[in-house]
Amino acid sequence: MPSFTTQVPNLQQVGPVVEIRAAVGTALEEIERSAGREMPVPVPMLAMIDTGATGTVLRDDIPKQLGLNPVGVALISTPSSANVQCYRYIVRLLFPNRVVVETTAIAAPLQGQHIQCLIGRDVLKHGVFIYTDYTETFTLSF
Amino acid sequence: MVEMLEKELETYEHSRAELVGKAEGKFALVKERRIVDIFDSESDAIRAGYEQFGNVPFLVKQIVEIETPENFTSNLMGV
Repeated sequence: MPSFTTQVPNLQQVGPVVEIRAAVGTALEEIERSAGREMPVPVPMLAMIDTGATGTVLRDDIPKQLGLNPVGVALISTPSSANVQCYRYIVRLLFPNRVVVETTAIAAPLQGQHIQCLIGRDVLKHGVFIYTDYTETFTLSF
Repeated sequence: MVEMLEKELETYEHSRAELVGKAEGKFALVKERRIVDIFDSESDAIRAGYEQFGNVPFLVKQIVEIETPENFTSNLMGV
């Protein structure tokens, strides 16, 4: 079973964060490669596992870095807003240990500089998420 | 906020009642003022969109009578 475990000092304060990379989705990559076009380099980012998020969110500058165009629109509600429309993009998320998940992510502003991605329940539904505070580790298995 | 897909959203909304009647739960591929096709899965619709139009904006929308918003409890969300 593909899996990774990450240790985060001061896990309770920092949260379950992990360095990942975002890449274009498989369908687009196949089409672009067959046309002989170069693919953008996957974008490194810090992601937080967020069980309070229905779906995965990318900071809104990431799709542009990957040269992506939207493939949909999502209606979202947050603590400070309701029924806001945001673009959706299909991406592959590259986790440690070669764990790869493809999903349709929402692009939205993320406050603060350190988190560029929230991993939501659209990804978690495929696996098992184990959060162990006393060892300051978490594991995601698929 | 979603100007790139404004025409597609208008087209979908204009046809929503008819689409719900014949394909509720499936996924519509919409490009500009045209409902291109209906698919069983979102990934099939997106793949067809890329194959037909390339890497340009297009709309894949699940056909539902009432859309449920996605919820986010994090205060990191800037919207």
